[in-house]
Amino acid sequence: MNISDRTRVLIQGITEPLGQIHTTRMCAYGTSVVAAVSPGYGDQTIADVPVFDTVHLAMDAVGAIDLTAIFVPPYQVLDAAREAIAAGIHQIVIMTDGVPPMDTIELIRAADAAEALVLGPGSTGVIVPGACMIGTHPVEFYAPGSIGVIGRSSTLDYEVALTLTEAGFGQSICVGLGGNGILGSSFAQWLQLLDEDEHTEVIVLLGRVGSTAEEVAARYVEAAIDKPVVAYIAGHHAPTLDSHFGHAGEIVDARLSGIYQRIDDLTIGTAQRKIEAFEAAGIRVARRPSEIPEQVRQILTGSDRSP
Amino acid sequence: MDLLEYQAKELFSEVGIPVLPSQKIYYPQELKHLQIPYPIVIKSQVPMGGRGKAGGIKPAANTIDAVAAAQAIFHLPIYGLYPELVLAEAKYDADRELYVAIVIDRNARRPVLLGSPDGGSGLQVASQSLQRVVVEDTFSPFYARRLAVAMGLRGQAIEAVSMVVEKMYTLFAKKDLDLVEINPLALREDGEVMALDGKITTNDNAIERHPDLAQYARDRKADHNRRSKYPSRDPLSAALVTLEPENGKSAGIGVVCNGAGLTLATVDLLCQVDACPLSFLNLSNEIYWRGGPSLRDRLDRGLELMTANPAIETVLINLVGSVTSCDAIAETILSTADRLAHLGRTLSWIVRLAGHDQALGRQRLEDPDLAHTLIYCPTLDAAIKAGLSATNPATNLSSTVVS
Repeated sequence: MNISDRTRVLIQGITEPLGQIHTTRMCAYGTSVVAAVSPGYGDQTIADVPVFDTVHLAMDAVGAIDLTAIFVPPYQVLDAAREAIAAGIHQIVIMTDGVPPMDTIELIRAADAAEALVLGPGSTGVIVPGACMIGTHPVEFYAPGSIGVIGRSSTLDYEVALTLTEAGFGQSICVGLGGNGILGSSFAQWLQLLDEDEHTEVIVLLGRVGSTAEEVAARYVEAAIDKPVVAYIAGHHAPTLDSHFGHAGEIVDARLSGIYQRIDDLTIGTAQRKIEAFEAAGIRVARRPSEIPEQVRQILTGSDRSP
Repeated sequence: MDLLEYQAKELFSEVGIPVLPSQKIYYPQELKHLQIPYPIVIKSQVPMGGRGKAGGIKPAANTIDAVAAAQAIFHLPIYGLYPELVLAEAKYDADRELYVAIVIDRNARRPVLLGSPDGGSGLQVASQSLQRVVVEDTFSPFYARRLAVAMGLRGQAIEAVSMVVEKMYTLFAKKDLDLVEINPLALREDGEVMALDGKITTNDNAIERHPDLAQYARDRKADHNRRSKYPSRDPLSAALVTLEPENGKSAGIGVVCNGAGLTLATVDLLCQVDACPLSFLNLSNEIYWRGGPSLRDRLDRGLELMTANPAIETVLINLVGSVTSCDAIAETILSTADRLAHLGRTLSWIVRLAGHDQALGRQRLEDPDLAHTLIYCPTLDAAIKAGLSATNPATNLSSTVVS
């Protein structure tokens, strides 16, 4: 993923209330929103952005587009993403939540075939502080710097970004993977991207109970990531993995877990299991959000035990 | 939502998965006009596993047996649920009982086919034998054959079982299901297969584009409301979690946050300082993508739900947002607090808000003329500290004694 203030962004679903609110916020932050697509609204201008009926028409009029931000209703997400992929757009950020899982799987198959990167569905998007924001991040919480943040818990991710900023640690990039069951990109993909990003010195990984995404991420860090990683996990005192915090997929996983985990050799993720996985991979684990800046400071000042 | 067995089997029939002749029975006397030849099996229709062990499945060789069995099953609760109907189904003798299922593997981000040669109620024990085939690309029947072979099937059983799995996949994809499971899938020496039981879980996000499934959901809700004095709960009251206090002590704190991760983190922090909340509520995302109440309306209703528990003495609110004004949130908190106070419910409030218009919200909450006991906290750590102070001294004492 290559995101900067020069990234040319398309909005799909600008006529949705959320699309319009967040487009305005994105433009105000300096994001280059060059066009929007909403069938039937061609030739209009919404939030100072020219609107077109199809992605092709938009590209004919404004030229190349690097990234699309999708805000269309859940059942239209697959089609919107396919239209973007067909037009040659290789970065797809989906803020819409509640996309049916089979639609997401179809979308991922299409994106894999076209070598496109998908963030979301249900993503808070991505922010490069001081340069651009694509999504729903509260921009006043962020400051430019060298800490990369990857999370999947919207408001908890915002909280940690704010904590870092207040402690004097700006961020190179912050990414919200989405809280939904099936996601276009995982911790692993973004760990790799941040590992290669020259502006990122330390990676902060924010997880929570439910699913096994963090355990998979821990293995990946151990195998492939050179930069220091600080992790935080929420949910030590969650009663049990249940419908209160589980999305449908997690509930199914949990129900099958008695038989299923042995196949994957993964335990349905309690906080304790996740922390064990992180510590086994040599990752520092913060016990509370406000301890994250302290861990980062130790790493950056060289008082860390690992390189 | 978990469909009932008979609903799952109706869907199986639609796609051509073999099921036994059966009849829905709402009253035991309907068995006198049964269209199916004996012997039969009477099966409780509750959305639960383990019905057989719980006594919810009984064989019957004649009408007298069948009526008695149905009467017993109608009066047998399984995990607290009584059946609205029972299913009378032909009895079937299987040579082998297999397990087959389709589910989404969220790490692989693909559907997976699951199968075991040791199906039936012994599955948990025999789970080492569970085979797994990931449907990497567009489904084609070879994936199903791969599973059948991996399950150790040979000869015509391979085709017979893979045909069933193929049809299960059709259903899974066409109806956006979270789970399709057949356990047991009966297999006879001559290659005949039969779905003896079935389980289907629908996907909540997709259900509105499947009118037949949405109808099942409405029927079930209507059934529930007819039978229960407690109407089915709205999403917010279903999200209210009450914790079992360790050592029986609790600080009487209720936590209200927006977002699962933030809620869990706030609860963790309180527990770390030995001030575990009594209950917590996740108001969910700032904005619902499918419409529905605003964050302010959910906050108002959520506070009402939480404080309905008389053991709650302190409410700790931690909200982080990007769009909703903190000032508007503060206004909602104060108006809800006013209303509760008017009803005689006096509480201590600890409020932490971060986001848009934060300074205005703070100003409103730090107004010296406020009629409420309210501590505004600029940070999460400050809110946790305030939560600890709110724990009553007796609790602190007992915790000291315990440790």
